[in-house]
Formats: sequence, structure tokens, C-alpha cells
Amino acid sequence: MKNKYIFIVLTLGLLFGLSCEKELLTRADYTDYAFAGIDEKGGSWKPILLSGASQIVIPAPKEVTSDEYKAELNNVKLAMSTLSSAQREKIAYWTNNPILRWNEIALELSTKYNLIPEPNADGSYPVPDAANPGKYPLFPYSHPPYTCRALAYLSVAQFDGLISAWNYKFKYNRKAPYEVDNSIVPAYAKTALPAYPADGAVVAAASRDILIAMFPLEKDYLIAKANENMVCLTWAGVNVQSDLDAGAIIGSEVAKVALQRAGSDGMKKAQTPRAVSDSIKAAALNRFGWQWDNQETPTRPVGLTPLFGKVRMWNVPMVEEVRSPVPPKPGSAEFNVAVQELQDITKNLTIEQRKIANWWSDGLNTYTPPGHWNRFAKNFLIKYKFNPLRSARTLAYMNMAIMDAGISCWDTKYYYHYPRPIQAIPGFKTILGTPNFPAYTSGHSTFSAAGAEVLSYIFPEEAQQCQTWAREAAESRIYGGIHYRFDAEAGLAQGKKVAVYAVNRAKKDGAE
Amino acid sequence: MKNHLIRIFLLVLSIAYLSALKAQTPSDDLLMQKREFCVALLYDAGSWDQYWEGARLRSNANIGTFSKKAATSMVAYGITNKINLIATLPYIQTEATGGQLKGVGGIQDLNIAIKGEIFNQQVGPGKISFLATGGFGTPVSNYLSDYQPFSLGLGTNEWSLRGILQYRFDNGIYVRGAAAHLWRGQTKVERNFYYNNGAYYSQWMDVPNALNYNCSVGTWLFNSSLKIEANYMGLRSTSGDDIRIYNSPQPTNKVEVDQVGFFAQYYFKNIKSIHGFGAIAYYSKMIHGRNMGQFQNYGFGITYQFKI
Repeated sequence: MKNKYIFIVLTLGLLFGLSCEKELLTRADYTDYAFAGIDEKGGSWKPILLSGASQIVIPAPKEVTSDEYKAELNNVKLAMSTLSSAQREKIAYWTNNPILRWNEIALELSTKYNLIPEPNADGSYPVPDAANPGKYPLFPYSHPPYTCRALAYLSVAQFDGLISAWNYKFKYNRKAPYEVDNSIVPAYAKTALPAYPADGAVVAAASRDILIAMFPLEKDYLIAKANENMVCLTWAGVNVQSDLDAGAIIGSEVAKVALQRAGSDGMKKAQTPRAVSDSIKAAALNRFGWQWDNQETPTRPVGLTPLFGKVRMWNVPMVEEVRSPVPPKPGSAEFNVAVQELQDITKNLTIEQRKIANWWSDGLNTYTPPGHWNRFAKNFLIKYKFNPLRSARTLAYMNMAIMDAGISCWDTKYYYHYPRPIQAIPGFKTILGTPNFPAYTSGHSTFSAAGAEVLSYIFPEEAQQCQTWAREAAESRIYGGIHYRFDAEAGLAQGKKVAVYAVNRAKKDGAE
Repeated sequence: MKNHLIRIFLLVLSIAYLSALKAQTPSDDLLMQKREFCVALLYDAGSWDQYWEGARLRSNANIGTFSKKAATSMVAYGITNKINLIATLPYIQTEATGGQLKGVGGIQDLNIAIKGEIFNQQVGPGKISFLATGGFGTPVSNYLSDYQPFSLGLGTNEWSLRGILQYRFDNGIYVRGAAAHLWRGQTKVERNFYYNNGAYYSQWMDVPNALNYNCSVGTWLFNSSLKIEANYMGLRSTSGDDIRIYNSPQPTNKVEVDQVGFFAQYYFKNIKSIHGFGAIAYYSKMIHGRNMGQFQNYGFGITYQFKI
């Protein structure tokens, strides 16, 4: 009998401690905040794609004394008086800066679709088809070039849309519902920003339309998200319906302008047929005496987007201006030093190095390195309490720079067509999967240096941190065994150089 | 006394092949006498060239044949005649013949279990017994659980509670069943964002809990020197996601396994110079699974029992 008690006590002792699990967030814990400034002159800033802030036209708003407005205001009050806890949660989710959530949604979709196609039974590989997105492999395959481009169009459309919105906000100066009727207590921090058109509706409509084009299978989900975002603005007491309608016009129109550019930027041709890919490879062999070959089984006949380097850049006139210099010849003394370093590192990899390699890996089924930098940027937007316009500007310049960095990196990659360590070093094994494109320059390094450069300009207090991150991201690829040090160094230099074009443009856009 | 010795071998055996699934919890009816020790060294070799991606059995030329070898040391001790303490510690090495990813090696999880007999009584032509086991396992090296399929283990604490019911005929034939609930914690990974049917902003991954079943039919032969047994093992995660197409597995996956096996065990009871020693050998194969390599395992080991 005594034995049984001992047993029960010991067992319960072992089971103790089950209750100490951490909460796993499925989204960032953003909340609303009071904006550091409202940028009254934001309507005069220079847009990226629009000719000016009044290119998109919206009707003049009705006076707040009009019957139409009063009816709208009553609807707001009615809705606010019967809010359920589920509705309140949605209001809290969207915050007063929905740029954050739409960026988060874009990153989640990039993650979801970032899966590389598997081989067919005969050893060939299928390619996603934009005309038939639901057929395996699903369209898109949101690899780093695809994702950086999606984020650039998203952010640019948001930015241009908000410049337009700011123009009309201060032109018409319509008050927010809680200023017209002080019985209304808004769910978000009060702001002196005029309410017409609703900046939140601009962001919702523009983001919805850009992301539907980028992730067509998510259309229903994105429409529902945009509708929820917009209705929350009335539930929160910050906008009436006509504020939303005007904002939605701007959002839809600016998305059309952005998608027109996207439709003709050359991305459709980036994933080439085999023959084109072979000729690019042959050109490199002819020029330099080496070529990269995919090492997978079965061999992928075409690398990832060989012509992404020809996609239209945002701020660099000619991609050749930022092409990196010739890498060391395989077998040369400089090359051998880099190989020796890789062999030494993989042989004696420290836990710290392993952590760095994995922390920055951002490979398949993740939001990619551009996504990683968007996450950093969002944290800074919150820390420095940026309003939606200034948030959109930050992300637009950063994502343009990151996309340009990707284009320049891909141009360099396929111009030099440089072999990866697993190809050049017999029997070499790695802790990270080697991607399906040439080694030189490192994409992580180029993306990261570009992101760091723009963020350093916008947030000078964070410059040191950003440069440290970029350097660590670059080093991580060496620890992972998939890049030589010269890939990383050249990538950092290239990304920084590309980003300077974006920063120079930002300095002249009127926001300083 | 002999029965207990025999049974400890069985215990060792079940630990050995469950280690391939990181479900090392004793699932038999064996108990050591008070102040008795059993130490064991076991070798296990598991391999697969196909794996279940969700429910679809597939191959991947960039893995080729995957292999996992384990050397496990085990100690069992009789606290009382009815309560035993069992500890196991495996060293594991993984590698693949295809692709360029590097295998890993190292010490995995320390598992400690307490087993007690609750009931043991003659009923008809044999004895019926019921035992319960409480177990706890925890990683003892800083291996990375988020490097599947190469990871040494799931990188999390595991608590288990198991019930074991056996009927043993007086002629040596027995039938045994065991069922357990495995509570797994969370595993810390080296990134703070991942996808598990949706985005997760955390450095922690939830490792699904699981149910684990065993049943065996066996008998002793040649004057109780040789034992043979046929067995089944089932594992069912109670939650989790499927491996996405051509993607890597991760610790959050919903794992299911049905495995059948045989083992043989020999006890050197008539040879004085090696009295106390025993040997075991086994083979098992998974016949159904989900988000799991289709392992085929064999193993052998030596055991030694003594009293202090």
C-alpha cells in the first residue's frame, strides 16, 4: 500500500511543470499609438508613380452640417453603441496605422507561397503558371525576387495613395467624427489629421488590389480583410462612410497605376525557358571560364529567375552601374583562401555561428530576407510613432531599394554565373540548403545592406544597429556553407551602393 | 527472480526501438527486485528511403537513404520490489546519402521513468498484472530540433503516463498491451518566425502531444533460455500540421506511425562464467505513417544484472 503512494507522488512530481508553456503569437502585438507628427505638408511630397497628389480625383466632401453627413455620423454612433467584443478585437487588431497589418499580411502570404516546385515523375520540373494559379505548382512561388517585388509595389502604392489622401485631407479639412460630436469616444488615439478621405481606406483598398494581383488565389481572403479594415474605421469612431468611400477611390486608382508598371516591368520574362538559360550559362563560360550548375537531384535545368536582373529598376538608371567586379577565379589564391575559410568554419562550427546561420536563413516557407527587413522597419515605425504617410514612405523607399538590390544582385549572379561551394568543393556538406541560383553576389548580403542603408537614413539613431544586422546577415551565409566570403562582401557593397540611389531620391521628395 | 531478469531485457528492448521515435518510455510489465540493478548497452540502426509527406509516401533524391544510428546506455534500479527507476541516454548520429546537407551527431535526451506494479494476481491458467509508468525526458545537449529530418530529437521536455496490462499463461505464453499519453512541451528554435498553417511570431514551436500504443504476443522456448515476441507499436500526435509539398519537416508536424516487429532474447542462465548477462536482437518496420520517414530498424544489445 505504501508503495502505491510513493508511486503516485513520484508520478505527479514528474508531471508537474506542464503549465509553463509560452504563448505563441500568430501576429505581432501591435497596438494603436499617438502619432509623433501629422505632416501637414504631406500632400506636397513627391509621389513615386503619380504625376502629383491631385492626379487621382475625388469628390468634394459634404459639409459636416449637412443632412447627409449627420446621417453618416448617426450610423457611426449606432454601430459604436452596440459593439461586440469580437468587433472590439478587430478594431484593436487593425490599429490606427493599418500599414503595419497589411505589411504583415503580405509577409504571411509570401511565406505561404514560398515553396519550391517538386520534380515530376520523369525528372523534369513544373513551373507555376500565372494564368492557372491553382494548378500545382501554385502561383506564385514567392521566392526572394518575387517577394521583394510584391513588397515594393505594395509600399509604393500605399505611399502614393497617402500623399494623394494627405493633399485632400488638408484641402478639405473635414473633421473627424469625434471632433464633430464630442459624445463620440474614438477607439484610437485622437489626431489632428482631417478625416476626409480616410487614410485607412486608402491603405486597405490599395493593399487589397496589389496583393490580389500578387497572390491571386487569396482574392476572397484579401477582400474580406479590406472590408474588415474599412468597417473598423467607422466602429472606431475615426471615419464616416463617405471618408471611406473617397479613400477607397484613391486606393483602387493608385493600385491600378502601380499594377500597370508591374505588368510591364519585365518580371513575366524573368523565369526563362531552358534555351535562354543555357545561353546565359554559355556566355559566362565563354567570358570567364566557369559556370554554375544546379546540384540537386534531379538537376533543375533552369536557375531561379535568370532574367530578374533585367527587371525595371526603381531608382538606378542602368543595372550595369551597380554590377559587382569580377570575382576571384576558381583555383586562384584568393579563391583558395575563401574555400579554406569555409572548410574551417564548417568543421568547427560554434553554436553561436549555427544560430546566426539559422536566424538569418529566411529560406523556403519563410518571408525571405526582404520580409525580415520589413519586420525590422515596422518595429521602428512603431518605436518612432510614425503616422501612416511617413510609415508608407519609409517602407516605399526601403522596399524600392531592396528590390533594386535584388535586381542588381541577380544581374551580377547570372552575368558571372559563379559556382556555389557545394559545386566547387568536392564532398562539401552544409547546414543550410543551397539555393537554385549562382553564388556571386550573395542575395542576403545585398538585400540586407540595401535595407540597412535606407533605415539608417530614416532612423539615424538605429544606423549602427542596422549595419550590424546587415553584416551579420552576410556572415550567416558563410556559416551556412552556401557562400564564399567574397560573395558576402561584394553583396554588402552592392546593396549599399544601390540604396544610395533611393536615399538620394528620398532626400528630394519634400518630406525632410 | 528469473522472470524479473527476463523482463528487464524486455524493458530494455522496448526502450531501444522506441528511441527511434523519441518515445522512450517503458511499456512492459517488468520490475527489478529491491536493490537490484540492470545495466544495458544497445545499438540501434534505423533507415528509410521513403517518407510520408502528410499521408503521401514519397522519395526525395536529395535525401536518398536517410539513416539514424543510436547507441543507448540504460540503467534500471529497484527502489522497492514494486517500484523501479529507469534511466536511458542515447547518442545519435544521422546522415543522408543524397543531397548536400550535413548530418549531425550527439547526445540526445535523458529519460527517467518510474514504474510501479499496481495489481498482479493469478486468474485462471495464468497471471494478470497491471502496471503504470510515469516518465520524463529532457534534452541534455543543445542540438537543434528545427533541422529535420537530421535533428537528434524534438528538443523539448516530454512527460508520459502509461498503463500496462498483461496476461501471462503459466506455460510462458503472454499477451500484453500498453497505452500512454505523451505530453510534449515547446521547442526553442533558432529563428523567430515560422509557418504552421499560418504565420507564427515566436522562437518557440509547439510540439504536439501524442498517444502511444504497444501490444505484444510472445513466449519462452528451450527451457526459458530463448524468448521470441511479435509486437506492434502505434503513435498518434493529437494535433500538428502536415509537411508541405517538397518542404522540410518541422517539430510541429502531426506524426502517425504504425510499426510491427519481432525480437529475440537469450539469457545465459546455464553458463556460470557469464552469469547475469543477456543478449537481445530485434527488427521492426513501419507499415503506415504520417509526416515520418518509413523507418526500418534493427538493433541488438547486451544486458547485465546484479544486486548490491
